[in-house]
Amino acid sequence: MTVLVVYAHPVEGSFVSAVRDRVIAGLSAGGATVDVIDLYADGFDPVVPEDDWRSHAAVRTDDHPLAGYAQRLRAADALVFVHPTWWGGAPAILKGFVDRLFVNGVALTLDVERNRIRGRLGHVRDLAVFATHGSPWRINALFEGEPGKLLVSRQFRLLCSWRTRFSWVPMYGLDRADAGQRAEYLASVEARAVRLGRRSAARRR
Amino acid sequence: MRVLVVHAHPSTESFSAALAGAAVAGLRRGGHEVRLLDLYREGFRPAMSAEERRAYDTTEAIVSADVADHAAQVRWAEALVFVYPTWWSGLPAILKGWLDRVLVPGVAFELRDERVRPLLRNIRHVVGITTYGSARRFVALTGDGGRRTLHRALRMLTARRCRRHWFALHELDSVGAEARAAFVRRVETELAGL
Repeated sequence: MTVLVVYAHPVEGSFVSAVRDRVIAGLSAGGATVDVIDLYADGFDPVVPEDDWRSHAAVRTDDHPLAGYAQRLRAADALVFVHPTWWGGAPAILKGFVDRLFVNGVALTLDVERNRIRGRLGHVRDLAVFATHGSPWRINALFEGEPGKLLVSRQFRLLCSWRTRFSWVPMYGLDRADAGQRAEYLASVEARAVRLGRRSAARRR
Repeated sequence: MRVLVVHAHPSTESFSAALAGAAVAGLRRGGHEVRLLDLYREGFRPAMSAEERRAYDTTEAIVSADVADHAAQVRWAEALVFVYPTWWSGLPAILKGWLDRVLVPGVAFELRDERVRPLLRNIRHVVGITTYGSARRFVALTGDGGRRTLHRALRMLTARRCRRHWFALHELDSVGAEARAAFVRRVETELAGL
């Protein structure tokens, strides 16, 4: 099993790309096998096409254009998101990754008759989000209510196992952070990633 | 009142398209001046590009013609109406990307002395019209991300006395044709009275 890192930032050399690098370094140091999806580098199109919407109740087959991503998702025992927070949540390219890939037959099984869904990500035992925020904690947590965090901590967790752990590693107030605070966050990112990596390695044994 | 309706759904035959139509019809009946931005029909590209991200921190955050046009419509409007299906408790990516790319510094807010100063003071109403596949209690449990985005994050930058309106139909796939039709009528009536 691998740790699948899904990364979304348009600018290489950005602070978020440094976060990604430390996540990968930490996971590898912990002994995990790391797989990285870089949505911008892949030129991912986040817009759900009309045909996909029409067939949303149909089970996806391997000839689907996103079948490669689906296989990588199924091979993961941990799912890690690295992204900046825009308007309270992940950038559109990552929201579209979820809209398009987390569908019937991949992340869930849809029971049309009973209007229920059953999660298919029981193999994912760790969910983690490394998210930067330009604004301070009080704006994000108290005023906006962190919809991006809830997407993973509440929605995705329901698709996984009851044993799945959720790790939230945020940086708030990036716009006003000095070099010391940035370095401190990067160090904590790597430390958390090492722990995630160790857990994945332990599960493989 | 000048009202900008932003619609996000891939299909013109969808229930969401019917809701957008009802919203526009209701607003016109109420004597409002209405403009419709149909993001799918316009082929809106939602992913903020590297060039746009670099420009974000400058005084010229807008580098694309489509964004400049949409930003002008936001400045023109006194009310913003969003019509969309809720996917993964939030906005479809095309609409999330509209916020990411259009509501940038110089349009939605400006940074002065490292402080955010709201620029959407012209917006007196923020209206959400959406459908959920899930039941009301499940939406509440999972946090209703779309509503948080529009009614909390966006609301912080609008007019001080901006009013928030939320019209939602839950369990879209099982409520039946009658409830759907009633909801369309309700949307039209409510927006006529906005």
